[in-house]
Amino acid sequence: MARVGVFVCFCGANIADFVDVPAVVEEAKRIREVKFAIDYKYMCSDPGQQQIRDAIVQHRLTSIVVAACSPRMHEKTFRKALSDAGMNPYLLEVANIREHSSWVHQKDKKAATAKAADLVRMAVAKSIANEQLHEISVPVTKRALVIGGGIAGIQAALDIADARIPVVLVEKSPSIGGKMAQLDETFPTLDCSQCILTPKMVDVASHPYIELIPYAEVLELDGFVGNYKAKIKKKASYVNFKTCTGCGACWQKCPVKVPNEYNMGIDKRKAIYTPFPQAVPNKPVIDARYCTMLTKGKCGICSKVCEKGSIDYKMQDEIIEREIGAVVVATGYDLWDPKPYEEYGVGRFKDIITSLEFERMVSANGPTNGVPVRPSDGKVPKNVVFIKCIGSRDEAKGIEYCSKICCMYTTKHTILLHHKVHGSHSYVFYMDIRAAGKGYEEFVKKAQVDTGATYLRGRVSKIYKKGDKLMVRGEDAQIGQVVEVEADLVVLATAVVPNKDNPDLARLLGVSYDKYGYMSEAHPKLRPVETAKAGIFLAGCTQAPKDIPDTVAQASACAAKVCGIFAGDTMKKDPMISTVNKEFCSGCQNCVTVCPYGAIVTEEVPMGHGSKEMRTVAKINEGVCQGCGSCVAVCRSMAISLAGFTDPQIINEIVSI
Amino acid sequence: MDYTNQIREIASKLFAEGKIDVFVGYRMTGFDENQVPALIRDPNEVSKLVFTDKSVFNLTNYLKQDHTRNKRIGMVVKGCDSRALNLLLTESQVKRENLHIVGIPCKGVVDENGNKMQNCIECIFPNPVVFDEMVDGTPTGSEAPPYQVNTDIQNIAAMDLVERRAYFEEVFESCIRCNACRHSCPMCYCAKCCIDQETSTLYHGANTTSSAFHALMTWSLHLAGRCVDCRNCEKACPSHLPLHLLHKWNEQVIYENFQEHLAGVHEGDRGAFYKYSMKDPDDFIM
Repeated sequence: MARVGVFVCFCGANIADFVDVPAVVEEAKRIREVKFAIDYKYMCSDPGQQQIRDAIVQHRLTSIVVAACSPRMHEKTFRKALSDAGMNPYLLEVANIREHSSWVHQKDKKAATAKAADLVRMAVAKSIANEQLHEISVPVTKRALVIGGGIAGIQAALDIADARIPVVLVEKSPSIGGKMAQLDETFPTLDCSQCILTPKMVDVASHPYIELIPYAEVLELDGFVGNYKAKIKKKASYVNFKTCTGCGACWQKCPVKVPNEYNMGIDKRKAIYTPFPQAVPNKPVIDARYCTMLTKGKCGICSKVCEKGSIDYKMQDEIIEREIGAVVVATGYDLWDPKPYEEYGVGRFKDIITSLEFERMVSANGPTNGVPVRPSDGKVPKNVVFIKCIGSRDEAKGIEYCSKICCMYTTKHTILLHHKVHGSHSYVFYMDIRAAGKGYEEFVKKAQVDTGATYLRGRVSKIYKKGDKLMVRGEDAQIGQVVEVEADLVVLATAVVPNKDNPDLARLLGVSYDKYGYMSEAHPKLRPVETAKAGIFLAGCTQAPKDIPDTVAQASACAAKVCGIFAGDTMKKDPMISTVNKEFCSGCQNCVTVCPYGAIVTEEVPMGHGSKEMRTVAKINEGVCQGCGSCVAVCRSMAISLAGFTDPQIINEIVSI
Repeated sequence: MDYTNQIREIASKLFAEGKIDVFVGYRMTGFDENQVPALIRDPNEVSKLVFTDKSVFNLTNYLKQDHTRNKRIGMVVKGCDSRALNLLLTESQVKRENLHIVGIPCKGVVDENGNKMQNCIECIFPNPVVFDEMVDGTPTGSEAPPYQVNTDIQNIAAMDLVERRAYFEEVFESCIRCNACRHSCPMCYCAKCCIDQETSTLYHGANTTSSAFHALMTWSLHLAGRCVDCRNCEKACPSHLPLHLLHKWNEQVIYENFQEHLAGVHEGDRGAFYKYSMKDPDDFIM
């Protein structure tokens, strides 16, 4: 005979103000199986839990119902109280009378009380059919996958590897480094981006615990935290990295010239190329889109000049598999395409460029050797207009959010222009100057004084051509007048947008993403690096626009989380998973295709006792099953049941009211 | 539509070539003008086989039976039957290599009164979607009409909910829970039907209208997205219940909400509810 204890919580005034708690207790006492019922102000407090522990012993209770807040809040707390009193924690049932009753029926206390009593009655009925369950422990693969080799991925990989945990770092392009490798100097200290980044890149390449897989993509990720299996496509590079010494003879002799992505298309690179001189690994790849040997079967010069014979035109994409325990996603950002700003003449006027194009020009290793020039005639510009918030904070044409980094890098650009072109002058059209960060406001103030740049608060309405100059017409809101500035060059501070592959990757990984394409963190304040999927973490601009210090901090936070997962040899897992009754299974395998986690496989069992004839039935991989119940819903034979939500439990609940 | 001679020839050929152990077709009842399924194991009995517009039953039902399992089977299928066969193949209930399928370019079958059956009038897959050889050698037939909403369903959709419930309660009152519908359905092959299981107390008790209705509703939902509209169930029902009302309703809802999905048209297609996809639009779920 079941002996159920019912514990009804006031939750201070949260429940008690809208539900007559003592009345719910009286209703509970009328249920035959309920041997003990009591209310308390805060059931989750230690004295509250003590009452549960005492009652279990004194009244020889066989299952417990706590009527309180959502099980998301305190189910774990109360389960712990049960096990402390020597009871199996899964004999607990939580009736959510706060979110499901008091909070949603604040206008009708009588009805809310009746509903709370019903919820308690259902929980009591279900708890009677509850079974003792035991946590499952699953082994952990101690290897991390880092997707993306920008500064976020590099930092996360190094921090994890320094904890002596193997890391697989997958980078889409031929070299790691990401956007930071394209930058000249970094705010607010103006240290050289390459100088601080390249040592880290070299560390990655030489670290004994890091396996660097450049020019590759993640195709599939199956499994669950601690036991993922990743399929990675190594794109055909047509160069044998093992024998290639990176001497450079091939790309010097290659006759095919194509726009250079690293320099934003300002100059040309060859069809066989390394993205930039400091690339890691410093091995070239052939761009199959342009190589005439691969497209037309003519040329073959690189193969002839290669002394090591490293060129292999027949190389195919290779798919490799790695067993992984946790994943850090660090896919970075793209820049918003300013094409919708037609009134500025984007696309029509050559001397309107984006901020990253400007950055490449002022870089010492850039296409113009560190001197900004006008794309139209190659002259060095004197008057440069910088326009901020191109796409950012623009609901009509762009996106609603602030890209966070543009105020600071535009300030940096005014300084770089001041240093590189004597007698130059910067004009900055801005909406606000957002300089929140250590040393940021000081940096902006100092730059304004040092460069003497003209800051104009207002939007630009039109850009038109006058001779070989561009006329920038905009509002100066501080004097309330329309102003026109004669510019040699216009630089647009284009918004930060997520990597365009983010939604596809998010779906592949099984994590959620927002309307812009940024992947979503589990909690905006308290779990900012975790995703809702256990074992997958976010670093850098994958999650939201960030500057380098924030990105590095988040990458290190990811590393700490990954190390936490790998601290033990096994992981505990909730036992509320599916099981198959082989006798009833007819082997249709619809559960196999409906399972979002790939947790169901098939096995052969004898047709009958002692029979040699075999039949196929479903089998649950208990390590992979997350207990979502999709298989239970599609099983017409009712051969699958979910521990904690079995048919007798649910039917008990239904018939109790 | 009379393919009797061709089918006898094909069956004889298959036996002679040693390709099959049993041929499933139709024979005359022996006492009236109607036909019943025939399982021919002896090549000398091939002459019993017939095929006319009275060959109404969906023979794929026999693929789930013990007397054909793990045997090499020759079988006659019409358009609707072949869709059921597709689903049985997809749901791993029968091995393709064990089958030799003889397709019929169907022109529709008739009921007891000699009138063309309603599902045949509305049929959009008269030609088999899976077969090894066609009975007349031509794999294609006439152009199929577009999918249309069944007129009975239109009438029911016009009723309000109270009216609709009353209508169904009245119609299904005469169910005697004999489960002939289930046994005649090719798609009902569960080792133990959920309706008979101990845990499912909801279907137990006396044969009341509500328990019968509940059982029928469960059955129809288990066939949602899988029913191929062969109407074996209606032919088997001793109470002459209009069971197609349940199935056609589901078929239409699924057709409208799941990219015009129809059951068993493609092999490997598990139907609307049995595949997890990140691309699922979910646009009608709140």
